[in-house]
Amino acid sequence: MTVRTGILIDTTLCTGCDRCVEACKQENKLGKDLPRRWKRNIDDLSSTRFTTVIQREGNHFVRQLCRHCEQPACVSACIVGALKKTAEGPVIYDSAKCMGCRYCIMSCPFGIPRYDWENSIPYIRKCTMCYPRILDGQIPACVEACPEKATTFGPCDELLREAHHRIEENPERYIQSVVGENEVGGSSIIYISDISLGFLSYNPNPGAQPLPALTWSALSKVPPLIIGIGGLMTGIYWIVERRIKLSTKSLHTPTSKGKKGNE
Amino acid sequence: MMDRKITFKSILWLLTGIWIAVSLARYIRGLGSITDLSDSTPWGLWIAFDVMSGVALAAGGFVIAAVVYIFHLEKFRPFVRPAILTAFLGYIAVAVGLLYDLGIPLNIWHAAIYPQPHSVLFEVAMCVMLYLTVLFLEFCPVILEHPWFNRLFYRKLHKALKRITIPLVIMGIVLSTLHQSSLGSLFLISPDRVHPLWYSPVLWVLFFVSAVGLGLMTIAAESLFSSWYFGHKLRVDLLSGLGRAASFVLFAYALLRLADLALRHKLDQALNGTWQANLFLFEIFLAALLPAILMSFRRIRSSPAGIGISSILTILGVIGYRFDLCIVAFARPEGVSYFPTWMEFAVTIGIVAAAILAFIFIVEHFNVSRTMHEHKGDAVEPNVRPRSSFSPLSLRIPMPESRSALRRYSLALIAGAAFAAAALPTDVWQGSPLLSTPVTSPMIMKGSLTNNSLSSKSNTYIINLHPSGSADGETDAKQVLIIDGNRNGRLVVFPHQFHRDKLDGENSCVLCHHQALPFDQNTSCSECHRDMYLPTDLFNHSVHIARLDENAGCVECHADPTKTKTRENTRSCAECHQDTILRGFIIPLKEESVEYAEGYMYAMHGLCITCHEQKLTEEPDRYCRNFADCGTCHRDINGKYFRRMSPYVAHKSNIASERNPAGAILSRPDYEN
Repeated sequence: MTVRTGILIDTTLCTGCDRCVEACKQENKLGKDLPRRWKRNIDDLSSTRFTTVIQREGNHFVRQLCRHCEQPACVSACIVGALKKTAEGPVIYDSAKCMGCRYCIMSCPFGIPRYDWENSIPYIRKCTMCYPRILDGQIPACVEACPEKATTFGPCDELLREAHHRIEENPERYIQSVVGENEVGGSSIIYISDISLGFLSYNPNPGAQPLPALTWSALSKVPPLIIGIGGLMTGIYWIVERRIKLSTKSLHTPTSKGKKGNE
Repeated sequence: MMDRKITFKSILWLLTGIWIAVSLARYIRGLGSITDLSDSTPWGLWIAFDVMSGVALAAGGFVIAAVVYIFHLEKFRPFVRPAILTAFLGYIAVAVGLLYDLGIPLNIWHAAIYPQPHSVLFEVAMCVMLYLTVLFLEFCPVILEHPWFNRLFYRKLHKALKRITIPLVIMGIVLSTLHQSSLGSLFLISPDRVHPLWYSPVLWVLFFVSAVGLGLMTIAAESLFSSWYFGHKLRVDLLSGLGRAASFVLFAYALLRLADLALRHKLDQALNGTWQANLFLFEIFLAALLPAILMSFRRIRSSPAGIGISSILTILGVIGYRFDLCIVAFARPEGVSYFPTWMEFAVTIGIVAAAILAFIFIVEHFNVSRTMHEHKGDAVEPNVRPRSSFSPLSLRIPMPESRSALRRYSLALIAGAAFAAAALPTDVWQGSPLLSTPVTSPMIMKGSLTNNSLSSKSNTYIINLHPSGSADGETDAKQVLIIDGNRNGRLVVFPHQFHRDKLDGENSCVLCHHQALPFDQNTSCSECHRDMYLPTDLFNHSVHIARLDENAGCVECHADPTKTKTRENTRSCAECHQDTILRGFIIPLKEESVEYAEGYMYAMHGLCITCHEQKLTEEPDRYCRNFADCGTCHRDINGKYFRRMSPYVAHKSNIASERNPAGAILSRPDYEN
């Protein structure tokens, strides 16, 4: 049985050295960040940068990367199933299927997926939690590179236990919640922090409801709608047609084709 | 009359030409080069208008089909064919628009082979695909009635298609209901990004109802257009009927939206005076309730002007609803905005123009608007199909009104394309440009140099500037910091205070000064001014030709006309542009850096082996197993012994040349055993 893995990020340990970013760039062969129209900052997440360290006021460093949600909005949005949640935890992307509709970018509550805007054949780019490395039994490149152990890799349940353990041991050091435990149904990347991490998502307090449930509530009505509307229309057609036939018959009109062409 | 038609069509052809030129740029260079889309705004004008609004505008087809075929309201039959045609062309326009917006349009068919039933977009795609087929089949009879298709096979086909009209209509209604509403469901997944005044769990109901209202009014607008353009008689009584129905639907739409907000206790947000609240009020009152109220009066809805104004308001309102949901009221990170580029507008407008041209062509050449006869014994004896106003002879060649008109259309098309191609930003052809971080241009300064105390071994200098004219400038001397920030021997004036202010004051020190690192490892200028080392071409030859009196000016730069124009015998820029030279430049340029190599053997080993090993690990399948072994290079012809490698020997002529004065080190390669 495959173990679901994830990453625990302890922002109190992060010094903002950017080694994780370098390791990520090397592992994924991403190349240089160039100043482009669609970037707010040069060190924004981009098609050449899957993870970045955001500095918040007062020397707090928060690493931003794909959250690898348990029930990812992007996966449910993808029209061709190019995005997939693997049993090991990472949300991965199959560029061969992608048609470039960018609905995944629209749907992500954390604004993570990035697009190759500069290419004439563009793909979605985002963190894959180094899925090939995980399959090889290695740990993700960013985790390996972290000199401060601010980011740890392991089975999700162990990480959660570890996170709660750290908070309990040092209650004054952390905010009393594990970010990513419940947000939008939980995610494989979890944070413990001494500052509020609301700035990482569009809604500072995302609900616990997984987003795919919202669209599914509408989608699940499709089969009954097909049968209902189809049946209704056929019924109305049949009734009206029959009434017209009856009324024309009673008027002794010789044409049997209804009252078509009466102009 | 004729003139007006030709002018109108010429304008449409012009717009089509612009569209074609912009299309080239889009497909060669990709979305990033011609749109204003970004990761914060992945869906822009093309989705909001071409897809979201296009589908809604084409809703008239299924609404009228339902009214006439299912509810048997026969008086509306004249609207059936134009409405089906509008819907058919509308959906084709939607598909074409999608081909522009999709990143990889060639993969559009993947929706059919990689189904992902949890995606709303998948449902929309399937319904639109099927509905386009249904519309094609529904419209086919109109084309088959044309004399061109007066053959037995086509007559049978026509008959068969007529027979399945009702099932097709029912299928069309089902598919339309599904995807018109699902376009709204697309946004259900972004509760955090759609503004609460627009987000609603029943978005799909609102989308469906508003689409029905818009569909009815599009049919009205389309008949007004036909009566203006083709001079068809306006059936005011029927339009009034449409208006009455639309009025009910629009009331229902506005009330549904308000009731939905009230039930979710969000109604107070509509009155709090923010721009979103005002936009919402505008959308509800001016663009939904107002036309609904207008059209509830018989006198207004029976006048072409009244119907026209109401349909414009409705179109504004319902399209506005989609725009607001998709773009305007869709949250983005702070400081990011989106406004479509003119190229995005050109594509959208061009698609609409081409669709109108196709509409005009089909109405002119096929029996679209004279539908009164369509059921009388056609297909039984097609040769005597009543088509009084149609003369097959005049229809053989689908030519425009006259030769001169044809010429004007071609001219308009080419002019449009040429204009657009010329107007395209130059960087479109170079791909998406890098943003530049501007620096000030060179300037002349006079002063005395003092080395910074810190910089005995580094690259920082300070100049005490003497204000011009004053011999003794000690009192009001100004100090300027000059640094070689890139460590490339080029010094620039560095406004330290300016950088500090611009980069957020006290906190910005660490951006450049890494306190724990050696002094010369500070961030170099090019880390932020990223365009610094990009190749640029400042010299504009054609401008120089024009300024220097055309041909007479050649010798101004290519000084000796008897020689070939090479770099060597061309004058340098600075000879004319003297203000670009820093005169009185008081800082000595850095000495040429001396590079130290460990010796030929080490250098070659370092160069070759590193790369060989790297290649072998990267692509083990491509290279032989011993690609990085010693014997790969050190192997003699017999393969028996290691060969000693020698420095490369250049050609004889090179040995003699000045470039290799030390001929001694050059010797024949020796193959010692």
